[in-house]
Amino acid sequence: MASKGYKQEMPPPAGYGPIEWAKQIPKKKMSGITQFGLFIGFTGLSWVGFYYQKRRHCKDDLEMRDARLAVLPLLLAERNRLLLKQIRENRDEENELMKNVDGWVTGTLWGKPVYHNIRDRWIDPSADEYFAHCKYWERMYTVHDKLNH
Amino acid sequence: MPFKNDDYLPSYEELTVPELQVTSSVLRAGAHHFGKYCDEQSKEFMLCLQEEKDPRKCIAEGKEVTRCGLEFFGKVKQNCYSEFTKYFECIDHSDRQMSLKHCRTSQALFDNCMKEKLGQDRPDLGYFASRRIHHTERPKPQLAPHPLPERIPDPPNFKTAPNPKFERPVTGYN
Repeated sequence: MASKGYKQEMPPPAGYGPIEWAKQIPKKKMSGITQFGLFIGFTGLSWVGFYYQKRRHCKDDLEMRDARLAVLPLLLAERNRLLLKQIRENRDEENELMKNVDGWVTGTLWGKPVYHNIRDRWIDPSADEYFAHCKYWERMYTVHDKLNH
Repeated sequence: MPFKNDDYLPSYEELTVPELQVTSSVLRAGAHHFGKYCDEQSKEFMLCLQEEKDPRKCIAEGKEVTRCGLEFFGKVKQNCYSEFTKYFECIDHSDRQMSLKHCRTSQALFDNCMKEKLGQDRPDLGYFASRRIHHTERPKPQLAPHPLPERIPDPPNFKTAPNPKFERPVTGYN
């Protein structure tokens, strides 16, 4: 053989195994009943979990709402005082500014009232009137103050 | 401004009262106990605002609320200073919304102190969010009368009126 200079490849000594000609079906790990059972079990458990979680969140939200509502009168009282103070300042400013103009009546446009307000209701001043004597950037800073916090 | 010189606006003296100079975490921390301590004043003020819809007419009630708030926070400072400081610092560092849920231990300490010193329990959950009835001595406000313009005269009765005679207009082109 060595004289031939090559080695002839031969089948293994016990011969080749049988040829797999049939369909290979994988082994079943879980039956359908088990799969559905697991699905229903996990879903049910998470529903219970969600119920308790939602109840806890509702309680926390209610507590926070309580806290906000409790201090609301305090904040509103202070805010209303500041608002009225600023309105009075604006009126004084307008009196001072327009004192040399003949025929100008403060709070009106040449004597014509701004609103048709027969029953003397309170009307919140519009932003343009409220910030009328401010600089542009003062107004912007005040309006967008909440973005700084 | 839509306010004339003869319109009523409260003077600066009326509007200047000692204000409550506290920050938001302090307000959040003391909110429940403040609300219970100043329950009557708060309800009176909110009812006034709701009925009158006019901030000029609720100045006195608002001042009462602020006075009560000052009194409450002064008492807390006198009696439960360390507990309250711990509590509101915890709330200040809890989260973006300053939630109360992360500060239960310091809250329990503060509540115990309030119970001992001021004899006040923490109000039940949902006390401020539920409807509360308030009896007030303030008369119910009445709107000013609304005078309507005078009634315009009725049109003439066309059935009995004589038929108007047609007259051709003089235009020059007839």
